Amino acid sequence: MTQVPPSSGSIVVADWHRCKDSKEYFSKILHKKRRKNFGLLESPVMPPHVAVDTVHYKIFISGKSGVGKTALAARLAGLNIPNMHYETTGIETTVVYWPAKLRENGRVFFFRLQLWDCGENALRRFDHLLPACKEQVDAVLFLFSFTDRTSFDDLSTQMAKWTGTPAGRVVKLVVGTKFDLFMHCDVAERDVRDFQEKWSLPVLRVGGEVSDGLGDVAPLLNCLAENLWHQDCVTAESARHHSQQDTGTLL
Amino acid sequence: MMMLQHGSTQLLCLTASSGVPLFTRGASKQLPFSVIGSLNGVHMFGGGQEVVLSSCETEGGGRVVWRVFQDSVMLIAVSGGGQGSGGGQGGAGGSKEEEVRLQRLLENVWSCMVLVLGQDELTNVRNVERLKRDLRSCFSLIDQLLEDRQEGILGNLTHCADSLLPPNPTLLQEAVDGFAQASDSEFGCLIVHGRIAAATEKWWRLAPQEVVLLSALMRSLSASGSASCDYPVFLPQGSPTVAHRLLRFQLLPGADVCVLCGPTPSLHRAESGIVGRFWTPLVETLRDCLAVGERCLPPSVSLRPDVLALLLINRETRRSVSCVRTLTNHPLGDPPLPSKARCWELLKLFYIFSTTRYFTQEEALCVSPEEKAQRGNTEDFVLGFSHQPLQCYLVTEECKSYGLQTPQHQLFLLIPLSVPTFALRTVATQTLSDIVAAPGF
Ligand SMILES: Nc1nc2c(ncn2[C@@H]2O[C@H](COP(=O)(O)OP(=O)(O)OP(=O)(O)O)[C@@H](O)[C@H]2O)c(=O)[nH]1
Ligand SMILES: [Mg+2]
Repeated sequence: MTQVPPSSGSIVVADWHRCKDSKEYFSKILHKKRRKNFGLLESPVMPPHVAVDTVHYKIFISGKSGVGKTALAARLAGLNIPNMHYETTGIETTVVYWPAKLRENGRVFFFRLQLWDCGENALRRFDHLLPACKEQVDAVLFLFSFTDRTSFDDLSTQMAKWTGTPAGRVVKLVVGTKFDLFMHCDVAERDVRDFQEKWSLPVLRVGGEVSDGLGDVAPLLNCLAENLWHQDCVTAESARHHSQQDTGTLL
Repeated sequence: MMMLQHGSTQLLCLTASSGVPLFTRGASKQLPFSVIGSLNGVHMFGGGQEVVLSSCETEGGGRVVWRVFQDSVMLIAVSGGGQGSGGGQGGAGGSKEEEVRLQRLLENVWSCMVLVLGQDELTNVRNVERLKRDLRSCFSLIDQLLEDRQEGILGNLTHCADSLLPPNPTLLQEAVDGFAQASDSEFGCLIVHGRIAAATEKWWRLAPQEVVLLSALMRSLSASGSASCDYPVFLPQGSPTVAHRLLRFQLLPGADVCVLCGPTPSLHRAESGIVGRFWTPLVETLRDCLAVGERCLPPSVSLRPDVLALLLINRETRRSVSCVRTLTNHPLGDPPLPSKARCWELLKLFYIFSTTRYFTQEEALCVSPEEKAQRGNTEDFVLGFSHQPLQCYLVTEECKSYGLQTPQHQLFLLIPLSVPTFALRTVATQTLSDIVAAPGF
């Protein structure tokens, strides 16, 4: 079943980090104007009168070696982006806290997005890694690099591996990396548009210097939050539906 | 011949049987192919004459060190010389020190390769192109060894685990033990600021170089800021052909816990079910431990004001603590104190100086059994004494250094020039008893 993704900004307030009322939330994920790095025993703490729920998600980053998986995880978390390509020789997870506001009712949530990054060559060498990444996964980011045509052509094969997964619904997003290296661009804008239409999936672009730490990652993180939230609503809806049916038959 | 710039080191890796280059790392300017060929050739020539060529010095002060591992891979380290010497450290910092440093480097690089790829892949080479490609996955650790940038980490050289003595060791020990057990593992370790703060008993039974290597891996993973990892690792001594899983969790930035385990538990289960249970109650204890910082010693241990830097090794447990202090410069007219970075360098040089000349080592530095028979100049020198030297000192233009050994410990100290030489011994013995009084060392 293909699930139509929500249109951008229909569920989560876009560019909320620029609004004044978001300040007290975003200040909790910043430290000295940089993103704060949270250990597993920590999380953003709001004053007691502002109760904010945190929703947890697991996101797998998929793509061939060198495409920029590790760099993307670091970028989204506001960590130092490696400038050399060192292969990731196992699974590394990175936690991103992101406050988002629902349009519908103005409620704010902290999205705790745990990004699972596994080096492509390690995946090939060790069979147990992919199942670990797939266990209870909520979303997959399919990466291609604007400077590597084959990584783009390979997307459909990659995504085919994730259709009809028994684990239930999985949010799928496509991310084009190295968008800043336009001099070496190997993937035309038109190809990206065609792809987007054919699959009706969001395609996001990343690359370049990290500027203020929020603006350059906000579109991707909001999009992810929106799709995850939407998926949860759909799942909850159908679960209610199912349980009603179940009760029906029982009676 | 001056092969490389002063202070830079290049590492070459070739197949031992046919000399096919597998990779080169380090030094911005790569050696020409013809030089690489000659370095391999001269070693092979020696082999034909039943001579193992292990090290040579060039006229320009450079050094070349060769070593073949498991008859399959040859590693060559070439240095442009001058590493860390400069200045007036006359005695320490010479060519002998450089040779030891490079020997150690080769040994550590090989261990890294086994850690990541396993021994089988390195010794049964079926497809050289594939091996070349797979070896790229070791570059992160290898470059880290070559750069050797992190101040205050001496384990790569000493093969003793850089440790930090926490203010509250019992609580942390219990947590590490319980956490490992709940993770179906006997091997668990808590690392704070890149140094071991607590570990299970079995962790200390790993080979010393494995402990050091795993610490190095943990430091690089911790530095990336990621929250958790599931890394396949081979243990060069204990399990070179079967990979274990290294699960690592960043409890707080700068404080990581890890376990070595089999197929279970999954990373997800360990993280969501086990980490919080054991470590949430200890957040404050961990913060106290982080506050110890690079001093490595709890606040309860006070050091004499005239100790500039120290390295203390526990010979039985193969652990070490080390620190460099910022002393305020003494009255005008006194020579300026060496910088912090220089102190770390001097400490390493003095360690090599003492252990190659006077003190015995538990694990002879970097020498393979067959080479040991031929080399042995250090050992001969030490054996030439009818007594075992217990103390040694060295005075240079930069500072005074003092070494002291007991059956259980080895202590290496840097002391400002302003302290009279006759007082060094008192400084050393007192420092030793100050630290050893702390529990657990
Ligand atoms: N200019 C630019 N460089 C990038 C970008 N993303 C990644 N890179 C570079 O591409 C190289 C590879 O990136 P990594 O993130 O390490 O690649 P990976 O996908 O994790 O690779 P494996 O771990 O081997 O699977 C690094 O040198 C990065 O600095 C980007 O958006 N722009
Ligand atoms: Mg990677």
